[in-house]
Amino acid sequence: MAEKWQLKDHEAERELFSRRLVVAAVFVVLLFTALVIKLVNLQVSQYEYFSARSDGNRLHSQYVPPARGLIFDNRGQLLADNQPIFNLTIVREQVVDLDETLDYLDTLIDLSEDEREQFNNRLRRNRVPFTSVPLRYVLSETDKSKIAVNNFKLPGVAIEPQFVRQYPLKDLTAHSVGYVSEINRTELDSFDDEERENYGGTNHIGKTGIERTYEDLLHGTVGYEIVEKNNRGQVMRRLDRTDPIAGKNISLYLDSALQIAAEEALGDFRGAVVAIDPNTGGILAMVSKPGFDPNLFVTGISNKNYSVLVTDEVNTPLFDRTTNPYPPGSTIKPFLGLGGLHHGLVDYEFTIEDPGYFRLPGVRYRWGDYTLRTAIGGGHGHTNLQKAIYQSCDTFFYDLGNRMGIDTMHGFMSQFGFGENFAIDVNYARTGVLPSREWKRATRGEPWYPGDTINSSIGQGYMWATPLQLATAASIMANKGKVIQPRMLKSIDGEPYEPEILDPVSDVVVNDPDYWRYIEESMSMVVHRAYNDVFREYGTAYEAIAMEDREMPYRMAGKSGSAQVVGISQEILQSDDIQVSDPNKDHALFISYAPAENPNIKPQIAIAVFVENGEHGSSVAGPIAKAVTDAYLLDILQIDFAALDSAGGELFALVDE
Amino acid sequence: MNNQDFIRQSDGLGTKSRYSKSIWRAIHTDPPLLVGIILLCGFGLLVLFSASGGDVPVVQRQALTMVVGLVVMFIVAQFNVHFFRQWAPTLYAAGLGLLGLVLVVGVEANGAKSWLDLPGLPSFQPSELMKFVVPMLMAWYLASRPLPPRFKHLFWSAVMILVPAALIIIQNDTGTAIMVTMSGIFVILLAGIRWRIVIAGFIALLLASPAWFIFLAQEHQKNRILTFFNPYRDPTGAGYNIIQSQIAIGSGGMYGKGYGEGAQSHLDFIPESNTDFILAVLAEEFGLLGVLFLICMYLFVLVRGCYIGYAANDTFSRLLAGSITLTFFFYVFVNMAMVSGLLPVIGLPLPLMSRGGTSVVTLFIGFGLLMSIQTHGHSRSV
Repeated sequence: MAEKWQLKDHEAERELFSRRLVVAAVFVVLLFTALVIKLVNLQVSQYEYFSARSDGNRLHSQYVPPARGLIFDNRGQLLADNQPIFNLTIVREQVVDLDETLDYLDTLIDLSEDEREQFNNRLRRNRVPFTSVPLRYVLSETDKSKIAVNNFKLPGVAIEPQFVRQYPLKDLTAHSVGYVSEINRTELDSFDDEERENYGGTNHIGKTGIERTYEDLLHGTVGYEIVEKNNRGQVMRRLDRTDPIAGKNISLYLDSALQIAAEEALGDFRGAVVAIDPNTGGILAMVSKPGFDPNLFVTGISNKNYSVLVTDEVNTPLFDRTTNPYPPGSTIKPFLGLGGLHHGLVDYEFTIEDPGYFRLPGVRYRWGDYTLRTAIGGGHGHTNLQKAIYQSCDTFFYDLGNRMGIDTMHGFMSQFGFGENFAIDVNYARTGVLPSREWKRATRGEPWYPGDTINSSIGQGYMWATPLQLATAASIMANKGKVIQPRMLKSIDGEPYEPEILDPVSDVVVNDPDYWRYIEESMSMVVHRAYNDVFREYGTAYEAIAMEDREMPYRMAGKSGSAQVVGISQEILQSDDIQVSDPNKDHALFISYAPAENPNIKPQIAIAVFVENGEHGSSVAGPIAKAVTDAYLLDILQIDFAALDSAGGELFALVDE
Repeated sequence: MNNQDFIRQSDGLGTKSRYSKSIWRAIHTDPPLLVGIILLCGFGLLVLFSASGGDVPVVQRQALTMVVGLVVMFIVAQFNVHFFRQWAPTLYAAGLGLLGLVLVVGVEANGAKSWLDLPGLPSFQPSELMKFVVPMLMAWYLASRPLPPRFKHLFWSAVMILVPAALIIIQNDTGTAIMVTMSGIFVILLAGIRWRIVIAGFIALLLASPAWFIFLAQEHQKNRILTFFNPYRDPTGAGYNIIQSQIAIGSGGMYGKGYGEGAQSHLDFIPESNTDFILAVLAEEFGLLGVLFLICMYLFVLVRGCYIGYAANDTFSRLLAGSITLTFFFYVFVNMAMVSGLLPVIGLPLPLMSRGGTSVVTLFIGFGLLMSIQTHGHSRSV
């Protein structure tokens, strides 16, 4: 069939086209209208919202951590410094595939398993979103350049400079100054909101020692910075900044030269030395040996290094021997003797006839005199208080203690800081034990037996004291009863610091001030030749101290002590066929102050020396005390005793009372 | 037998007397259209300078492309549009041939194997050619048939549109395929296809779309659709572009943040800020007023394009002018709607604003055809 012919009607087609064009125009207008409505919705109705989103995209408020206050010793030597290091950090949110990124970093800078694990720990505990988490502290120059070159392959990975603590004296101040280390979860949780805010930019917090005690002073106040960041997290502009307030610089009474001298004096021994200036209470030296390098902890100690420190059961370098208690042994005798005088239990004339042991009435057990191991049964013979002190006669003190009774003993001894922590800013120090009836009932659930008093009379049994407490007691003795509580902090930003003591300790007052002179003379005879000139009747430490140094320009008051290591019976220790191994040997102790018996100058230094398994207080611990005293009086203070003597009392107003 | 021999040309309407003796007519240029285009180009370069972060070489290259486009436009306008009408079938056949050739020796760029790199010629995309060859052919085909077109003609029209579209889809260039298809469909719509067919086709499309989504759509296409309905289902992945672009537009507010002050674009939060998403930069820096100003300029060009179609002498010219104008609108609208979140993300540039090469020249060929229709059609009949 032929195709139907249809003539084109041009007018009709034109009109049809025009109608369609109108329809199209209507559509164009409608669609543009819809678009404009959408735009009005976005740009007018939701303007505030999107404006905030845009600012949220680009504006980031970041914390500016304050510089930590520096710590100086009493002569301006830096004990804790801030050093710049470069850290490799990762912002988790900007990393596409964390494992892949770590693997790639491994090919560049060799990540150890340890580092990965520590990083994952940090990720888990320290998580504020979009903050950088350190992967490695202290990048080397080579590593830095390797990272920088491959930066484009490592989104979210950055090299950030940071100031961290550095302890120039290393082991020497490990316990006393302490160290800072990364803030952990527990510490974060213990913060209130204000503190959490203040630590927003801070990675480290004081963990031990002064760093911990004065954390609030040292930390400072956080600053803020509003920065504009681009899509890749790079800071493009800094828009606003509130400067942080740096932590306060503080100075301690600690004298690093004396600290070094004490450390050297201890030699190869494990032990502790605490030295206090009796006039100020300032702690001049506080050494626990062996120490450890606190710098290791600052940038995150590796598991390997840490396990070395904690598994060393003999040296226990992390254990602070200055603030942990040991049996004080005979070092308490001068205090107990003073108590006997004060309470009228003995006088200058009182003597006993020492058979070498003590027996409670009706008890068969004999308390032997430990100071006379070679002459058991012989005893010290005719003994007064002075001789009982300088020859350390146990029998005398068994008798005195027995007559004094534990209640009086506890009351008198506590005035010297036994069983208490007199130190103002060493709040982590243990208090030891000054036993009492209440104490025994509370902790042991047992009544107090007369035998307990006998043991306590020579600083054994339940009696425990820290080297810091012994130095404190020596310092009070040096001050003739005036209590100036020990302290570390000397000044803040150069301003002398006078602590507010809420609960001050009252001075020790005795019935006759001459008792102080008498005890000092007794203690002086421990170190120097006794005044009575009886053949071979000299003090326990005479041979090791004054006889060694006949030129000794000052007199030193001291008292030795040996403390039984707990858990070893005395019989075993004294039997000849058993070689006593090192860790079972007695601890050696010595307390002293100097110069003593000098009308021209007050005592300048009180010391407690503790030598772990040192065996002999007089011959091992004594010379250490002497060396530290020499270092302080002769090298550091450079006191010219000869000049002092010739000038008499005129030059110095420091004369006592 | 050729219908043209018998048809009577209707008189042109409008302005021929006003332009008949003008210099513009002599050089075959339509001043209003030219002004609109140049304004858009100028504004486009201005926004691009900011969007590229002050990258002078980028702006220079874009300006050069625009100058080349203007020259091409001018050359195209010198030909009488009926020259193209006569050559439409040949051009179409050649275009198909080139598309076929691309399948064999095509070069891939940006995921689409659509480039032809023939010796002695600059590399180009044959699919771009089809953007105006297809409407040309449709106009040629339908203009010589009685209108409104009958079903048989519609069927062949559909074949003529879908064959090149299919070839372009095979090249993996869905955006261009859609544009080519739309430019052909616009001719059919303007030719007076019956509304019931349009409505039926529209409903069929609606019904077919779920099937397409389930069986045919590729993963990234599905993602784009899902992201359109909820950009926050993957805010750092598929939804990132649209979220950031909406933030940019919204934070621009009424008056904008000021030229060069767009934080979203300058801090690289807007991806593709030089190309498909350049509207977000404009909206952020010039605000709602800036976007309205742009829409007004587009409307001016569109109105002029419609007028040229309306005033044209013959059906071929009318259909071609109408299709070119509506395709231009389609570009503009789809891009703006996509950037503002009114439509799913389709990779289409914003005409005369987005940075680009071949597609810009194609646009200018369209403008050249419009000018040819306006300046040749009225003076003589074939």
